[in-house]
Amino acid sequence: MERIPFRKEELEVIGQTINMGRGSFPLLNTPISPRENFLMLLRGEDPLWIPFARDTISVTPAIIKDNIARGFVYDATPFDPNVEGGGPDMFGVEWEWVPTVRGSMVRPGNPKVPDVEEWEKYIEFPDPDSWDWAGSAEKNRALIEQKELLFGATILNGLFERLISFCEMSEALVAMIDEDEQEAVHRLFDQLADFYGKIIKKYKEYYHIEILTFHDDWGSQRAPFFSLDTVREMLVPYLKRIVDTTHDLGIIFELHSCGKNELLVPAMIEAGVDMWNGQPMNDKKMLVDTYGDKMIFGAAPEGIDNDSSLEEVRESCRKFVDTFKDHRIYSGAASNAMFAPGIKEALYEYSRIAKCGKAE
Amino acid sequence: MSKIEEIASAVERGKAKLVPGLVEEALDEGADPVEILNKGMIDAMSVVGEKFKNNEIFVPEMLVAARAMKKGVEVLKPSLGGSSDISIGKAVIGTVQGDLHDIGKNLVCLMIESAGFEVQDLGVDVPAEKFVESAADPDVKIVGVSALLTTTMPAMKATVEALNQAPNRENFKVMVGGAPITQEFADEIGADAYTPDAATAASVAKAFVVG
Repeated sequence: MERIPFRKEELEVIGQTINMGRGSFPLLNTPISPRENFLMLLRGEDPLWIPFARDTISVTPAIIKDNIARGFVYDATPFDPNVEGGGPDMFGVEWEWVPTVRGSMVRPGNPKVPDVEEWEKYIEFPDPDSWDWAGSAEKNRALIEQKELLFGATILNGLFERLISFCEMSEALVAMIDEDEQEAVHRLFDQLADFYGKIIKKYKEYYHIEILTFHDDWGSQRAPFFSLDTVREMLVPYLKRIVDTTHDLGIIFELHSCGKNELLVPAMIEAGVDMWNGQPMNDKKMLVDTYGDKMIFGAAPEGIDNDSSLEEVRESCRKFVDTFKDHRIYSGAASNAMFAPGIKEALYEYSRIAKCGKAE
Repeated sequence: MSKIEEIASAVERGKAKLVPGLVEEALDEGADPVEILNKGMIDAMSVVGEKFKNNEIFVPEMLVAARAMKKGVEVLKPSLGGSSDISIGKAVIGTVQGDLHDIGKNLVCLMIESAGFEVQDLGVDVPAEKFVESAADPDVKIVGVSALLTTTMPAMKATVEALNQAPNRENFKVMVGGAPITQEFADEIGADAYTPDAATAASVAKAFVVG
């Protein structure tokens, strides 16, 4: 691909991304589409600018009950989580939408699975064949057919998150290392791997997704929940099966895993994860220096939020681009900086110039 | 290795099935129950807490260690007499109103209990009035307030303010913690202590009570 130098006219806004309830973002007058640019990164080529996380768009359709329970429906169906969020997920676990938090949780104290070792007594797997995939895809036709952004789907409640939802946090954590309970967890994750595989195939067949984002939080603010050895033993075999299914369908696998999880990156790589956009408390520079040839990391400009001034945002973005311009990376924005003034334009302009120079 | 050292090792490794038998054996051999508790269990949990702080072990290992200690204490309790003999004070701990997160609070409960406190777990989504009501108990020495979200930090502020108005405020210390909480915020809202992890919470709570 020709290394087209940056021209000021590229900052002209030529449209907006499709708004699925998360707000829309400006589409700039880029020499190639954000989607094509992202694909360059994924193919191992040097993109014309550092791809922005919002150069992807991900659905979480209402046909999957988890998305309603979590208040996280993003598709063509109008959805107000304050009215419709919460309720049973696809396994019948009851979630509670908390408006101040803008998220759902299972209220502790009454787990669906009181004894992990006997989870089969309490859990019935749903049948994705019985959901109206064709109808859902039809509603989202415009989204599926757009070619500006890399298009994907998100699966909430990965392997460990599902275990938490069944039996609560403390019990789930203990079950990951307790010799008596591990066998039951293996049985559960084995079935979940097949189950998620079915859902991913449906997404491919009906939505033609190019990227799958798989939510499984593995850590807290200060450290992973569990050791690398525990992840290798309990999660990697099943995550790898899910990743392999995804790859066999020609889909990129992005892990969404909150927490300070840099210690667990070797396990992500062993599972075949393509991309991880970890939270800012992870040392992204260390990660790209150490593992940048094996996995793509998401990173974000630091020290800014939605109330920062344009000058502060531009300075932070300039520093970010200086640090990461030679790495295989995509730029996100911390959740409190997603709408920082001029963030997308600044990241675009600086990284375009850093990668391709500036036209006279 | 002495029997008490064996107990400590089993507690540290979270061997809940081994600990009760080892405690029985130690008692049969004439070991002092208080020494079994202090050296075999509380000290072992301090080691666990330190390892957790240093990322040598993680939350599950801490949980199974606490569980192992609990099993041992069940066997030990009849030999220790009433609970007032072994408790260094009462701690009430909860997550603030509007916040349903419980793991951080649970870990603090476990570590503080393992440090010798009698713990009343108020649960999650706890209104400020409930904290104040519980703190009215004259035996309460520590009130632990947890918040895991930036959006529930105002509820923590309101809770601490309410506790600071309590007529028996000098009887207890208010400790705060949770992912978004900082020392600066703790100072601003008038808490007595902020601790970044459960192990530190236990040692600070103990220092408040026994000096």
